[in-house]
Amino acid sequence: MDKCIACGTCAEKCPAKTTDAFNEGLAKRKAIYVPYAQAVPLKYAIDKNRCIYFQKGKCRACEKFCPTNAINFDDKEKDITLTVGSVILTAGFTPFNPDRFDNYQHAKFPNVVTSMEFERILSAGGPFGGHIHRLSDGQEPRKIAWLQCVGSRDLNRCDNEYCSSVCCMYAIKESVIAKEHLGADFEPAIFFMDMRTHGKDFEKYYERAKSQGVRFIRSRVHTITETDASGTLNLVYVTESGERVSEEFDMVVLSVGMEPAASAMEAAKTLGVELNPYHFVKTSDMTPVSTSREGIFVAGALQGPKDIPQSVVEASAAACSAGIHLASARGTLVKEKTFPAEQSVQDDAPRIGVFVCNCGINIGGIADVPAVAAYARELGNVVFTEEPLFACSQDAQEKMVEIIREQKLNRVVVAACTPRTHEPLFQETIRNAGLNAYLFEMANIRNQCTWVHSAEKEKATEKAKDLVRMAVQRANILEPIPDLSVGVNKSALIVGGGIAGMTAAISLADQGFAASIVEKSSSLGGAARDVLHTWRGENIQEHLKKLVDRVSNHPQITVFTQSEIVDASGFVGNFETRVKTGTEIHAIQHGVVIVATGGQASVTDEYLYGKHPAVTRWHDLEQNPELLTGVGSVVFIQCVGSRNDQRPYCSRICCTSSVYQAIDIKEKHPDTDVFILYRDIRTFGEREVLYKKAREKGVVFIRYSLNKKPVVTEAADGLDVRVFDPILQKELIIHADRVNLATAIEPSPNEDIAALYKLPVNAEKFFMEAHAKLRPVDFASDGLFVCGIAHYPKSIDESIAQAMAAAGRAATVLARTSIQISPLVSQVNRDLCIGCGLCTDICPFGAIIQEEVDGKGFKAKNISASCKGCGLCASSCPKKAIDMLHFRDAQILAAVCAAA
Amino acid sequence: MSNKTTVGSVLVVGGGITGMQSALDMAESGYYVYLIEESPAIGGVMAQLDKTFPTNDCSM
Amino acid sequence: MKQTEPKIVAFLCNWCAYAGADLAGVSRLQHPSNMRTVRVMCSGRVDPLFVVQALKSGCDGVLVAG
Repeated sequence: MDKCIACGTCAEKCPAKTTDAFNEGLAKRKAIYVPYAQAVPLKYAIDKNRCIYFQKGKCRACEKFCPTNAINFDDKEKDITLTVGSVILTAGFTPFNPDRFDNYQHAKFPNVVTSMEFERILSAGGPFGGHIHRLSDGQEPRKIAWLQCVGSRDLNRCDNEYCSSVCCMYAIKESVIAKEHLGADFEPAIFFMDMRTHGKDFEKYYERAKSQGVRFIRSRVHTITETDASGTLNLVYVTESGERVSEEFDMVVLSVGMEPAASAMEAAKTLGVELNPYHFVKTSDMTPVSTSREGIFVAGALQGPKDIPQSVVEASAAACSAGIHLASARGTLVKEKTFPAEQSVQDDAPRIGVFVCNCGINIGGIADVPAVAAYARELGNVVFTEEPLFACSQDAQEKMVEIIREQKLNRVVVAACTPRTHEPLFQETIRNAGLNAYLFEMANIRNQCTWVHSAEKEKATEKAKDLVRMAVQRANILEPIPDLSVGVNKSALIVGGGIAGMTAAISLADQGFAASIVEKSSSLGGAARDVLHTWRGENIQEHLKKLVDRVSNHPQITVFTQSEIVDASGFVGNFETRVKTGTEIHAIQHGVVIVATGGQASVTDEYLYGKHPAVTRWHDLEQNPELLTGVGSVVFIQCVGSRNDQRPYCSRICCTSSVYQAIDIKEKHPDTDVFILYRDIRTFGEREVLYKKAREKGVVFIRYSLNKKPVVTEAADGLDVRVFDPILQKELIIHADRVNLATAIEPSPNEDIAALYKLPVNAEKFFMEAHAKLRPVDFASDGLFVCGIAHYPKSIDESIAQAMAAAGRAATVLARTSIQISPLVSQVNRDLCIGCGLCTDICPFGAIIQEEVDGKGFKAKNISASCKGCGLCASSCPKKAIDMLHFRDAQILAAVCAAA
Repeated sequence: MSNKTTVGSVLVVGGGITGMQSALDMAESGYYVYLIEESPAIGGVMAQLDKTFPTNDCSM
Repeated sequence: MKQTEPKIVAFLCNWCAYAGADLAGVSRLQHPSNMRTVRVMCSGRVDPLFVVQALKSGCDGVLVAG
C-alpha cells in the first residue's frame, strides 16, 4: 500500500468490470479501484469477489503494469488483536432499500430512483458528470416528484415507525439543486405528510425553496404507473381536501429513510451492547453516548436517525466520554516526533536543489523530465538537480536527506504533485536534513500540468519549466520561520450554569481540568428546572439535582452565581476574564471558553395569554396538575411565535413536548378531550412513536396554516377556539377549558458575551458556530466553544450531548501544555503603520488589534495565536505596513514576475 | 478497573464523518486511536452526497 | 496570421480553487496549458498590485479564484 502512487494504471488495464456501489450502481468500475477520486487513502484496492485472478486463478494484469510493484497477490487476511481502553461505535446507517415494496416500483421502473441514486446523478463527480437525465431514455426531466417517508413513519409496510429526521431537508435540497441544474422551467414537487425542517436555518431553507418554485403537496402518493414506453410516470394521489388527482412526472425520487447498518448491528452485538426496538444502539437521555456496556460509547446514526451536525456533535461527545473513561492513561501511548537541530542559513547565499519527479510515467511519460531538470540547472542559485522516479518513496526521501547534507543545500524545490497532499511530507524530509521546513517549495507539475495536458507533451514540458522557474525564484527569497507555540492554561471558563454549562464543566473536571462556571442568576439549573421529563420519559429533576450537587462539590469546579462577565481578553490557551460578583471582581485565567448562555420560552400576547387565566404556556399545566382536574377539554396551540416573519425558525422541541403532555393528560384523565392545533407535527426521529401513541389515545390533531391561525375568544364558561379544519374543509369551534401555548424558544440575552469575546450571532441572536455541518460546537476563533440552547433550541438529551461535545473539543486544547500554531501569520511593520484600524476591522478572526504606543498613537498588533494567515490585512493595508510570513509580497511577486 | 492499568488507546469502529471526528478528537487529546473501516476508503455515506443542507456546501 | 496564445496568471486560494485545480488533475480534465498558478492562502491575499505586476511583466490575463 505504501508503494501505490494512485496513478490508475492498474484500473485502466484491469479487464474485470463490476457495479460501482459508490455510484449506487449507476456506473461501472473495475475490480481494482479507488471508491472515488478524493478517497482517503488514495490507494487502489482489489475487490476480491470480482477480480479474475482471485475467481479464476489467472490474469494479474494489474501486477504486470503497476510501475511501482505495489500489488501483492500473496497478501493474506489477518486477524489482529488490539488492546484498547475504550471503544467508540460509529458505524452508521444504510439507506432503506425500497425494492421489497412493489408500490414504489423502484425495481421495475427505471425513472423511479432513490434519493441516494439522485445524489449521484446530481454530483459533478457522479456517473453523468452532474447532468440530470432520465435513466429510461436519457431525456432531461422537466418534472420530478419526491416522495417522502419511504421506509419511515410507516408501520404497515416496513416496520420503521420512526421518522428518519433528514429526508425532508435533503429532498428540499435535491429539488433546489436540481432546479439550479435544469433551469427556471423545471418543476419540482415534494409529496409529504409533515414538513420537518426543525434544524438551525432549515425553516428559512424551506421558505426559500417555496419562493424558488418548489411545489409542496401534503399527500401520500398511492399509485405509480408508467404512461408510455419512454418511461414517463403517472402518479395518483388524493389532496388534503379529498380530491383525487392524477399527474404525470418525468422522474420520481424516493426519499428513503435510515436503517442501522447490518455490519454495525453485528459489531454492537459482538461487543455485547444493547440495542433498542429499532435496532439502534440503546442510550439514555442523560448519558446520550453511553451504551449499556461501560467504556463502550456510540455516536451518529447508529444511535438513532440524525443529520450530520448532530452526528458530529455526538462524535465529539463520545470522544469526551472515552476521554473521561481513560483520563488516567492520557498521553501514555502517544509519541512526539523529534528532528535534528536546525542549521542557520540566514547569512549564506541560496544553494537550491531541484528534484524533478517522474512519478513513474505520470509526469515523465508526458513532460520531458530531463529537459525540465536541465533547464532548472541553468537557473541562478540552482546547484543541484535530480530526476527521481518517485520523489515521495521512502528510499528517495532518504537519499534527499543525504543530498541536502552533501551538497550543502539550503533551499529545496520539488517539482512533482501537489503541495496540498505532499508538502508536509517533503517538509519533514528537509527537517530531517536540518533545514527549516519553510525553506521548501513545490512546483505542481503533475495534477496541474501533465495530468491535464496529456495530449500536448511539448506544451506540458514548457509549462513545467515555467512552474519550476516560478518555484525557484520564490525559493531564492524564502526565509526560515521558527515554530510558533503558545502555552496553555489548563482550565475552562463556562458562561452559564444551566444543564449544558454544568454538563460541560463536569465533563472537563472529570478529565482533570479545572472549570469555572459564571452564572447570572442566583442558582444553577437554568431552563431545565421547568421541565419534568425528557421525551423518553426520564426524570429531569432527579438528574438535575445530582448534577448540581456534583458541580457544587467537585474540587476542580468553581461556581460564581449572581455574577457577570465585565471584561475579557486573550486568545486560545491564554484568556483572562474578569468576573464581577456583587462589588468584587475576580480575574480568571483560563485556556478555553465554553458559551452555554441558554434560552427560554418567549412570552406572547397572542391567544389571550396574560389576559385570561385559562391560557397557559409550555409546562404550566404539568407543573400545576390541579389545573387539569375536572377539565373537559384542553387545546394545545403550536408554533406560537415560531415559523413566522419575526422568528423565521422552528423551535424544534415544542411538538414533542405538547404531544408528550397530551398523552400524559389522556392517561391521567381519559375523559378529557385533548386537541393539538399544529402546522406540521415535527416529532422527528424516534419521537415519532409519541405522535402515534397520542393518536391512539384519542388526541385530536388539527392542522392550521399561518394565514388562517386559530382564534381564541372568551366564552361564558371558559374559552372558544375557532380553527379551520382542512380535512373537513370547515371552521370548527372548540370549547376549551384550558388553552396551552407552545411559544417560541428564544436565546437568553447574549449581546454582552458576544461583544466581549467577539462571537458572531445569527439574525435570530443564536450564536453562530464555525461551520454548520462540520464544526457544530466550535466558534471560528480557536479556543471558544458553544453548546445548549445558546446555539439553537434543543431537547435535554441534545443539550447534554452538545455540552459533552464542547468539553471534548475543549479537551483537545487543554490536553496539551502548549499548542503548535501555524507560523504563517501576518507581521506588522510599526514604523509604517498609521493606526487606521482597517486591518482590525477586516480581520475575520480578531487576530489584529490596535494598541496604543506612547507618543505614537495607535499601532496594529498581530495576535499570532488567532491568525489564520489569510492575508486579508496585508492586501488591504493602505501603507503596506503588513506582510505575510512565507507569502510575503516580495515572494509572491517573485513567482508572478517569473510567470511571464 | 481499580486493579488494572488503564490502556490509553481507543478503537473507533466506522470511518464515516462521525468516526473520523471521534478519532481526531481522541488523537488530539492524547490517546492512541485505531480506526477501523470495512471499505477501502474513509468518508462513509457523506462522501456520496452531492451537496449538504442548509448551506449547499459541497460535501467533499 | 497565427493567433498568439495569451499567457494567464492565476491566483488560486489554497483551500478551494487550488484544490479544484488539483482535482481537475485527478479527474484528468484536459484544458488549455497557458495558465500559470500562484498559490495563495486566501484570494483575499491578492493585492491589486499583484495583478498590475503580472500585467506589467507581460502576462495577458489574470484570474483570481477563491
